[in-house]
Amino acid sequence: MTQSWLRHSIGGFHLDIAWSLEPGQVHVLFGQSGSGKTTTLRAIAGLVRPDEGHIELDGQVVFDSAGSVWTPPHKRRVGYLPQEYHLFPHLDVAQNIAFGLSDTRDSMAQRVEELLTVFRLTGVAGRRVWELSGGQRQRVALGRAMAPNPSVLLLDEPFSALDMELRRELRAELRAVLARTNIPIVLVTHDREEAVALGDSIQILEQGRVVASGTPIEALGHPTQVRVARLVGIENIFTVTVRERDAEDGALRGTADSIPISLPFVDAEIGEELTVGVRAEDIILASEEPSGLSARNNLPGKVVSVHQEGARYEVVLDCGIVLRSAVTRSAITSLSIQPGQTLWAVLKASSFLILAEQLA
Amino acid sequence: MSFPTRVFGSSRHPLLPAGVAATAIYVLFIGLPLVALLVRSIGGGDFLAGISTSIVLQALKLSAITSIISLFVTVLVGTPFAYLLARRQSKTLRILDSLVELPIVLPPVVAGVAMLMAFGRTGLLGGTLGSAGISIPFTTVAVVFAQVFVAAPFYIRAAKISFQNVEIDLEEVSQTLGTSPWRTFWRVTLPLALPGMLGGMALSWARAISEFGATIMFAGNFTGRTQTIPLAILSAMESNFSAALAMSTLVVVISALILVVVGFASRSMRRRQA
Repeated sequence: MTQSWLRHSIGGFHLDIAWSLEPGQVHVLFGQSGSGKTTTLRAIAGLVRPDEGHIELDGQVVFDSAGSVWTPPHKRRVGYLPQEYHLFPHLDVAQNIAFGLSDTRDSMAQRVEELLTVFRLTGVAGRRVWELSGGQRQRVALGRAMAPNPSVLLLDEPFSALDMELRRELRAELRAVLARTNIPIVLVTHDREEAVALGDSIQILEQGRVVASGTPIEALGHPTQVRVARLVGIENIFTVTVRERDAEDGALRGTADSIPISLPFVDAEIGEELTVGVRAEDIILASEEPSGLSARNNLPGKVVSVHQEGARYEVVLDCGIVLRSAVTRSAITSLSIQPGQTLWAVLKASSFLILAEQLA
Repeated sequence: MSFPTRVFGSSRHPLLPAGVAATAIYVLFIGLPLVALLVRSIGGGDFLAGISTSIVLQALKLSAITSIISLFVTVLVGTPFAYLLARRQSKTLRILDSLVELPIVLPPVVAGVAMLMAFGRTGLLGGTLGSAGISIPFTTVAVVFAQVFVAAPFYIRAAKISFQNVEIDLEEVSQTLGTSPWRTFWRVTLPLALPGMLGGMALSWARAISEFGATIMFAGNFTGRTQTIPLAILSAMESNFSAALAMSTLVVVISALILVVVGFASRSMRRRQA
């Protein structure tokens, strides 16, 4: 697969990215708003003309600044699902899906019928789009984008307009639909779960630059740089001073604000300051001092606050250093966790991510 | 009528009785003359006699033809212009945008004088037109010129707002689905903007039918050639009072019909589009 790339400036914002797409693979562009992910998507669709670059779709050059190639959006054969779906309000469900079809009447009706079935919309084919639920709207938008057999599918935050529960449900559904197509897919998102659930490859963008790439699990689950760890939402990031090294297994012992911390084996000098990260869900909470555990870090602390974050609860614990732990609702009830209470935070040494301060 | 349950919506708000009184006074102020006109004209019994005189029929025909041509020209030129104003931003367009409505606030007589200065025999383009054998002032063409001049801004303003209300994202999605920008305009933009555009057309058409000042200055008052209904009313006031009354009544009825029909049509169209 040949590489596509683009450079584009809007005011003080500079976007610089290169990517390649594989048939049947979902490529994730991950980042905060303003990181350049949507601009990249729009450039692939032809809705933004980059200052310079080279973009190929399905072996066809659709943009090349050096060779002055520019294919307008209506000749690119892209399936574009914009963030707010933007269904045509003057058309019904079937007419929306049929919008991009230019075949003869018979084959058009057949294709619409087929997509209505795939997306479970047969019962609402004649409805106006504003009468639909959020999930149905998304399916109509997806059906409309896929109807003309595009050479690439561009999904811009396809779940952002939906609530949490519906997201999970539709994500599984979308994965099943995407598995049936053999076209490359670009997915723009800032949701970690979504990226891991749907993505085959990922690029993490920050202020127009790619700061990490690879598989979603690697790039999002094991960030190696502080800024990427912040971007992907690692909840606990703090500094540990290395004090000693275990003579037998080489594991490190250090302190964070004089609290003892056990770290995994890494290449570090005694006295060196390491920035480490721990996911909130990797911190186990215990109501009594645990014993007989293999985990090396058992830190007592007082509960500062408890609040709901989506489907889970975040418990903020002051152990001398502040730790954020994510637990389920049933854990909150069974440990009857409330502010002021003393809990033990249990962390495996191997759950620490050692982060580099600078970009490699 | 229902009010939301808020302090300012409650019936105790002191502005509300004042509002009711003001509404009554205003409705009487506008309504009384119109009712008086209808009563005198229809009640007098000579409405049909007044309306069927040759001068009236000629004026009626001329008004219908010129106002429809004016509307056609206005839509043809005004639509792309309004689309440009709605979709592009530049300093020139901003200045143009703020000047579009100038003909609305200008006294129509001034518009007539200005057009004479441009297209009249001694006007800016008069020499050029004259050598090409074209003379515009005091012809039916001049009537159309005058009507377009004063009435087009009503349509352009409404069309611009209608286009602005069509989300640009819808046009983008349409293009990614293989529809050219030109086809996108017909398939997406126009159907969505149409209710508002129709409202603008109605206002513009009604204004063209009512046009008087610019017409009498630039086109004159020649029966069968430039004498539209409003001009014929003025002439008939001196010679045939019942004809003047009949024509006035007709104009009121036609204008009211345009407002009602178009208001109804665009409301039902909007309902279908949510």
